[in-house]
Amino acid sequence: MATLICALVLGPFIAGLGLCFVKPDRLRDVVVTVVTLAVWCGSVTLAIQPTPGALAGGLFERTGSQWAMLLTEAAMALYVIWVGIRSWKLLVVALMLAQTGIMAWLGFVSSSHLPEAQAFFVDKFTVIMALINGLIGGGICLYALGYMRGYHEDTHLEVTDRRPLFFALLFVFMGAMFGIIFANSLLWLFLFWEITTLCSFLLIGYTRTAEAQRNALRALTMNLAGGVAFAAAIAWAHQKTGVLELQALIASKQGLALVPAALLCFAGITKSAQLPFSAWLLGAMVAPTPVSALLHSSTMVKAGVYLVLRTAPIIAGTTVGFMVALVGALTFLVGSLAAITTSDAKKVLAYSTVSNLGLVVLCGGIGTHQAVWAGVLLIVFHAIAKCLLFLCVGVVEHRLGSRDIEAMSGLILNMPRVAVMMQIGMAGMFLAPFGMLISKWAVLKAVVDANPALSVFLVFGSAATLFFWVKWMGKLLEVFRPREKFEAEYGAGEAVALYGLSGATSLTCLFFPWISTQFIEPYVVGVYGVSVSMAPGNVVIMIIMMVMVMLFPLSFINYGRWVKVIDAYLGGANLQHSSVRFRGSADKPQEVVTHNYYLWEFVSETWLSRWGTVCAAVLLAIMVLSSMLTKAPARKQTQPSGLSGKTAAALTVR
Amino acid sequence: MIGFKESPWILHYDASSCNGCDIETLACLTPLYDLERLGVINTGNPKHADIFLVTGAVNPQSKEVIKNLYHQLPEPKVVVALGICACTGGIYRDCYNVSGGVDRVIPVDVYVPGCAARPEAIIDGVVKALGVLEHKYREMAALAESIDRVVYLQADRGDAPEILTLQKVAYQSEAELYGDDSLPALQQTLEELEKDFERRPAQEASELGARAAGDHPPNESDRIVFIKAVVNGKIIGSIRGYAIGDTAYLSRMMVHPYFRGRGIGRRLLQEVEQAFPQSRRFEAKTGHQSKRNHFQLGKLGYSRYKTEPFTPTVTWVYFQKERTLQPQR
Amino acid sequence: MNPWLRLIIYLVAAPIIGGLLAGWDRRISARMQSRQGPPILQPFYDVLKLCRKEAIVVRRSQNFYVFFFLLLMIFTGALFFAGSDLLLVIFALTLATIFLVLGGYKASSPYSFIGAERELIQIMAYEPMVLLTAVGMYMVTDSFYVHDIARHPALLVLTLPGIFLGFLYALEIKFRKSPFDLSSSHHAHQELVRGITTEFSGRGLAMIEIAHWYESVLLLGWVFLFFAAWPVLGIAMSLLVFGLVILVDNVFARLKWQAALRSAWTVTAVLGFGNILALSLLRGHPAPPAAAAVPPANPPDQISAPAAAPSSNLPT
Repeated sequence: MATLICALVLGPFIAGLGLCFVKPDRLRDVVVTVVTLAVWCGSVTLAIQPTPGALAGGLFERTGSQWAMLLTEAAMALYVIWVGIRSWKLLVVALMLAQTGIMAWLGFVSSSHLPEAQAFFVDKFTVIMALINGLIGGGICLYALGYMRGYHEDTHLEVTDRRPLFFALLFVFMGAMFGIIFANSLLWLFLFWEITTLCSFLLIGYTRTAEAQRNALRALTMNLAGGVAFAAAIAWAHQKTGVLELQALIASKQGLALVPAALLCFAGITKSAQLPFSAWLLGAMVAPTPVSALLHSSTMVKAGVYLVLRTAPIIAGTTVGFMVALVGALTFLVGSLAAITTSDAKKVLAYSTVSNLGLVVLCGGIGTHQAVWAGVLLIVFHAIAKCLLFLCVGVVEHRLGSRDIEAMSGLILNMPRVAVMMQIGMAGMFLAPFGMLISKWAVLKAVVDANPALSVFLVFGSAATLFFWVKWMGKLLEVFRPREKFEAEYGAGEAVALYGLSGATSLTCLFFPWISTQFIEPYVVGVYGVSVSMAPGNVVIMIIMMVMVMLFPLSFINYGRWVKVIDAYLGGANLQHSSVRFRGSADKPQEVVTHNYYLWEFVSETWLSRWGTVCAAVLLAIMVLSSMLTKAPARKQTQPSGLSGKTAAALTVR
Repeated sequence: MIGFKESPWILHYDASSCNGCDIETLACLTPLYDLERLGVINTGNPKHADIFLVTGAVNPQSKEVIKNLYHQLPEPKVVVALGICACTGGIYRDCYNVSGGVDRVIPVDVYVPGCAARPEAIIDGVVKALGVLEHKYREMAALAESIDRVVYLQADRGDAPEILTLQKVAYQSEAELYGDDSLPALQQTLEELEKDFERRPAQEASELGARAAGDHPPNESDRIVFIKAVVNGKIIGSIRGYAIGDTAYLSRMMVHPYFRGRGIGRRLLQEVEQAFPQSRRFEAKTGHQSKRNHFQLGKLGYSRYKTEPFTPTVTWVYFQKERTLQPQR
Repeated sequence: MNPWLRLIIYLVAAPIIGGLLAGWDRRISARMQSRQGPPILQPFYDVLKLCRKEAIVVRRSQNFYVFFFLLLMIFTGALFFAGSDLLLVIFALTLATIFLVLGGYKASSPYSFIGAERELIQIMAYEPMVLLTAVGMYMVTDSFYVHDIARHPALLVLTLPGIFLGFLYALEIKFRKSPFDLSSSHHAHQELVRGITTEFSGRGLAMIEIAHWYESVLLLGWVFLFFAAWPVLGIAMSLLVFGLVILVDNVFARLKWQAALRSAWTVTAVLGFGNILALSLLRGHPAPPAAAAVPPANPPDQISAPAAAPSSNLPT
């Protein structure tokens, strides 16, 4: 098992570093495909094996590895400082110096007596995240092959072709993500966390335009702020509790672990682009679509909420938890409302990502077993559906040359396969009986049981969510122009990813009871000792609904045999029985043009961002302060499986 | 039988009325006369309406609108011309812009004279229209059921109006396929169609874009053959063909949308082939998107041999077939 | 009563009751306007006539969406009257309405487009209140299941007054009556032509009508839930509420969508949320979640009440 994990972490790393030097296209295709297949096999193999809990780290626990960690961190720090100086961003420099300073102080204070830590921890939650990262991440890499070829050869000729670096970064990121998922030792987790920040920075700035560089720096700054919080968490944990293992932290007395947990939540909130840090994710949409899909919707941002959910048992029931929940709830509401106001497809998807991650953070903040169950479910379904949507938007943008939703009118006629897959993706995001709806339902129940006042955010947010998704779905369906058939909608690599994800969206909600019992419930039982599930009657009803919805395409079999097609009603002014052209004023022929409602008088994006940021910043401040001031009574310890003997000993020492 | 008498929904359109008749119509909906107690709803939408109430005389501006609205009313439908202006043009009959009453544009079922027509008369007219509606519905239902008695005959000039109506209805689906409403079949007028019946094959060839007529000398005594498929006296399918030398050229195959999918198209093709016993080769052309036609032709032994762009949206695809030596019959 | 029997009675009786309600609606409206009004059975005549009309469409697939709208609306009502989870009922209702909206978009005409957009705004306006109603009922009865709520001994409206009033507000929107008939209006109003139903005719329109009947029965059934402890009062109040909806429809003119959305959300926030806040403070929520961290000896805890099938005093 340990070797498998090392392979999953290091394999993509090495492949990534190797891809830096692979120039020929075809060779790169082969290498990427082979590595992706290997990652898929590895992830699935991991999934079917029993989970041992904490693990010895194999390669990661040798003395040499500590030096490797230090060197990598030093190299990254130097690079970031140089970037900061070069771009005149003193904040970047300051944050990086703060981070390095804390870590250096830690190293100095503890000299060589860092407590031994089990490097890895594998439970069912880990397995879920590994599957998401491996399967979806691999799929995106395959997609990116065809997409980036088209990107550089057709649509974006002005961008220098740095594809070796691009794919290298994708795989380095994947490896780092695996590292975050499997790491138990906070030091290793921190290293991989920072590697993902760096990857994100480099990938956002891939096109090297001024806008891209600006946004990349913004992402870097905010993630570095999270990194500083992370470093502070590590330092505090070491000083006050002496443990540097995540699982040990979770198991330890709540009073002691609260501050590190709060700081870790802070880091998670920056990584997942919650308010007040949402701006970086919205700006990150300038990057090519595979980047948006991989980093900024399916995997990297999930690392942030993964951390929040892991620390949920610590912060449950405290003011810290309540503040975290409020931040998540606020983000959900603000993100959903803001998504109504824009017609840029990727921006809508970004806002939707931010708001759905807010839901997961809400679950983490509440921290009951129901909430955590709902949170994990949300992660799973959101990763799949959102990734599908980003990939579809990428393909559409490539063919249409625009990512404006208004330009996607009539897509069902012009690019039917992609349009149908987009419909599946969008339905998967909010519609019964698809997965996200089940998750939101679970969240609502968890919220109502824990803290009903928070439900107000949920209900208003879901109403807003509905609006912008159905608006978009309708835009795809309406037909006002005759068909302009595009030659081929997408290539082979893209097809694999798209079909796979569409199938996954539909199948995961059919199989979600199995997913729940196999993966999520064991995790929840392991942490809380109580199991959670959905009543079997409801499961049956959801399956019936799913079957009914899936029957919908069958109705097209008898496609229009007995109906008469007539032009639309245009006040009788139709020209030559056209549904689109009519005789306008002064007998001038005109065409019907429709535009969605954006509710600008009702919802203002700038007002929402400004006040959302302010409120969330206040909440975060309260969160950090209260964690330091709380003298919460030690809560009863739960014994998660696989607590290593060494850390138990360490606990009794301090 | 509970049917249209209980629930007549009206569409009220003012062609060029002085509004006198309109006010009287709306007065019918007021408490004093209360047409709604008869189930009448004044919908503003032709697709929901059964009765088309038109007031005012027809001028060029309203002519198109009346045609469009009438076209959008679903069957069965009746038209009531309300007020003397709608019936005959009224006192505006001789104006330079007035072409007369509504029956210049669409067939009218009930005439309600008056200036302004009184609510009692309007109600009377609507009730009469209900009777016509019921009758039309029964006719329509009978038509739909009588499909096994299709008769294939040669059409003559007197059938031109019916064939034109059928053409306009049948080619809607083609217009949809190509997104082009200006297909020649849809734009043809009655006069042009009647001329088609008289036309010589040579003229037809050059008009319809077939191969150059100079290849074979035209046979002057040949005319264009029109075949019609008739159900209960109504034409529901048609095809035309003409022969130049050895080859017979077939075109404008159409079947009413209600009657598609029942083998009428195929039978029409077979009938028209039999109408040219001397021809050894048949040629047909159809649009590149008309997959259904390609399928039909393929099934009958035709094979594609040429394509030729016609307009930016339409490309002609030509099919041909060599006839087997012995006659079909 | 056996839930399956209840289901069958619902499937058969709901359109009849819904149609009669629609007929009474027109009759009462007419009487309020000093008119006679059509016969009570008029909606049935309308639907029968529509079924006999020619099927015409603008886009070939538009009627499929309406068919699924009807199917899912029946399904939603069936879920409700069989006693299922109230949140699931709300989600199924939303799914059904979204099919109607998608059908409106599919019809590709400017009027149906506007109607569809406004229908979405309407959904956005009433959805929070409807969800809060379910939440409120859960807080009082500790169950989301309709058959548990229906058997609750206390009169729900007494502990949920704010929610009840907010729900009435949402009901006016859901019934698509003035002042909230933004997306399509029945009968005489002609702004937006027919809104979302503009391009539907014949069987498609008949299906929309029948689906509206099922919806009316579902909504009035929900009103009954507030008074379920005293069934006779419940039925009386349902009918009274329906009468109130008609009265408001005849008294008010249509609001602009901005006013509709703002007022609905304000009512939700003040009345609905206020009620919930009051309930949670009075009952000492939240329970400390540390209590949930219990040694694994406990049997698994279900997230919602078991879906048993006991008898219920819900009529029909």
